[in-house]
Amino acid sequence: MTTEQKTEVRKPEKEFESSVTVLEKQTQRRIFKIIVIGDSNVGKTCLTYRFCCGKFPDKTEATIGVDFREKMVEVDSENLKLQLWDTAGQERFRKSMVQHYYRNVHAVVFVFDVTKMSSFENMPGWIEECDRHNLNKEIPRIFVGNKCDMTDKIAVNTNLAQKFADSHNMPLFETSAKDDEKANHVDAIFMTLAHKLKNSKPMMPLHLSQYGTGYQNNDIVNINDSPERRGLRRATQDADGNKDGNCAC
Amino acid sequence: MKLTNGSTTESLATINPAIIESDNDTDKGCFDEIYLEKKQQIEACLSEENVDIDKLREFAISPGGFVTDDLRQRAWPKMVGIDVENIPPKPDEAVLHGHRDYNQVVLDVNRSLKRFPPGMDDNIRLGLQDQLVDLIMRVLVRHDELHYYQGYHDICVTFLLVVGEDVAFALVDKLSMNHLRDFMDANMDRTKHILNYMYPLISRVNPKLTDFLERSEVGTIFSLSWLITWYGHVLPHLRDIVRCYDFFIACHPLMPIYLAAAIVLYREKEILENECDMCILHGLLSKIPDDLPYEQLIVRAGQLYKKFSPDEVAHDAILNFKKSQQLAKARIQNRQKYLKPVKKKRWFPLLYQDGSNIYLKITFWTLTAVISATVIAYLKPSDWDMNIAGWWT
Repeated sequence: MTTEQKTEVRKPEKEFESSVTVLEKQTQRRIFKIIVIGDSNVGKTCLTYRFCCGKFPDKTEATIGVDFREKMVEVDSENLKLQLWDTAGQERFRKSMVQHYYRNVHAVVFVFDVTKMSSFENMPGWIEECDRHNLNKEIPRIFVGNKCDMTDKIAVNTNLAQKFADSHNMPLFETSAKDDEKANHVDAIFMTLAHKLKNSKPMMPLHLSQYGTGYQNNDIVNINDSPERRGLRRATQDADGNKDGNCAC
Repeated sequence: MKLTNGSTTESLATINPAIIESDNDTDKGCFDEIYLEKKQQIEACLSEENVDIDKLREFAISPGGFVTDDLRQRAWPKMVGIDVENIPPKPDEAVLHGHRDYNQVVLDVNRSLKRFPPGMDDNIRLGLQDQLVDLIMRVLVRHDELHYYQGYHDICVTFLLVVGEDVAFALVDKLSMNHLRDFMDANMDRTKHILNYMYPLISRVNPKLTDFLERSEVGTIFSLSWLITWYGHVLPHLRDIVRCYDFFIACHPLMPIYLAAAIVLYREKEILENECDMCILHGLLSKIPDDLPYEQLIVRAGQLYKKFSPDEVAHDAILNFKKSQQLAKARIQNRQKYLKPVKKKRWFPLLYQDGSNIYLKITFWTLTAVISATVIAYLKPSDWDMNIAGWWT
């Protein structure tokens, strides 16, 4: 391979880098690490891909180990970087490999498949595991029921899921990574999280924390508040004011 | 996903050239020409009555491997030592479908579209996917001690595409008890341990790079899918995957991790240009560039193996393992320290009048009141004295 070729290969990464390495920006940018977990085939990869790449992947594959995607978002004129860790669903991976990725996470997204009861029933196991690994129980968690475009195959009814979400102090979202009409909805879910994270404690080295904006301690526990104060409506208003909540299903 | 389809093992041989053509039609002519002589030598070697396995192994390792899939169909069974005339028959469907891992296998095979050549007819592909499920299940039902892992299907599909279901079954059956055995335990401890060989190998050649990677705490998981799928999950072209398979079949089971080390070493410059950050490096390393010089890297992996044998590296790998265990232990201790006050806190909210957990609070305070009243009543000094006195006197 010639050097020219090598440079060509790296070009896209360099372009990406150039946007990252501006020191001034970097000091102002906060990075949040989000882990996405749930049973095999519930759509963790598709959800993160939809959010980070703006579309449903053409050919999906089983995730082996851990995949990583990221996206820059702007919340209240602050640029945040969301790093999504997409994990393998098979139990053997979660038992020995995934635990490494629980370290220092700022938020957890639990995903189940609304057309598959077992993926919902296995949730307590995932939550228990998360409790075991998480440093901080106060970190935001959200509960996502995926594949709700398959209306004729719904197996987990919303009330049941909502009750479970309430009992674990998580907001519930039902969505579809596949349905193009719900693309905004997937965005809104992650933007809810971005808001929650932005207003939580600064996730930066200490010397940079002075740059943190609008740190309000109360917001950390908002997620544990009454159900009316959580959820999509608030998120869509906050995240992108022009969107209303009609994409909730 | 069962779909009845006419494609049998025999018909696969006829689709194979199409697979190769669609995969590398432009390179094929020139590729064949470079290795024309080698092809004839392999041909001659395979035609002998008693095939010289050592010679075959040399062909498998040297540039180009077995060159074409036609030769692989004949060479792989010889290398692995299976008798293609005596392949155990397929058990009943009920047996295959009753296995504990069946559902997971179906889920993964259904999502393995990427592994089939682009432009393949949907019916043929669906037929092959059915065969893939059967082939995996056939191995698993024969060996109760083997556990399916996501990624095993990536290995099986490669064999299926090259040699057809029955021979693929026989090959994978044997390899699963040898080269792939460590990945198929009930847990992934041994797989993790094999990953621990990578850094000691890199550090023997390039301590600076090892130091950088260790400081970033990127770990080794980025190479997990390389290792347990024999690169089937990550290399975009089937021709490169089968080339690696020639190499791995002919070599020590740890060779995939030597290749991983060779790839990381090859990308040194690229790696060092990045920030020393776990996420950035995981993102960079887990995606293998399309145009890696595989032949060169295979040679490099072979050199690393000759220079630093698994026995020599084993000691460091164990040290790494211990180090990571100690680190994990320290982290758990830290976490527990942190968790203790949180646990205590769980009782404090009972003292607050904030409207939460109302029933629990009512029960708590009522019980407290009842118990206190009983105790006070029982221990009232006057009664106490009297009772005691009365009893004793």
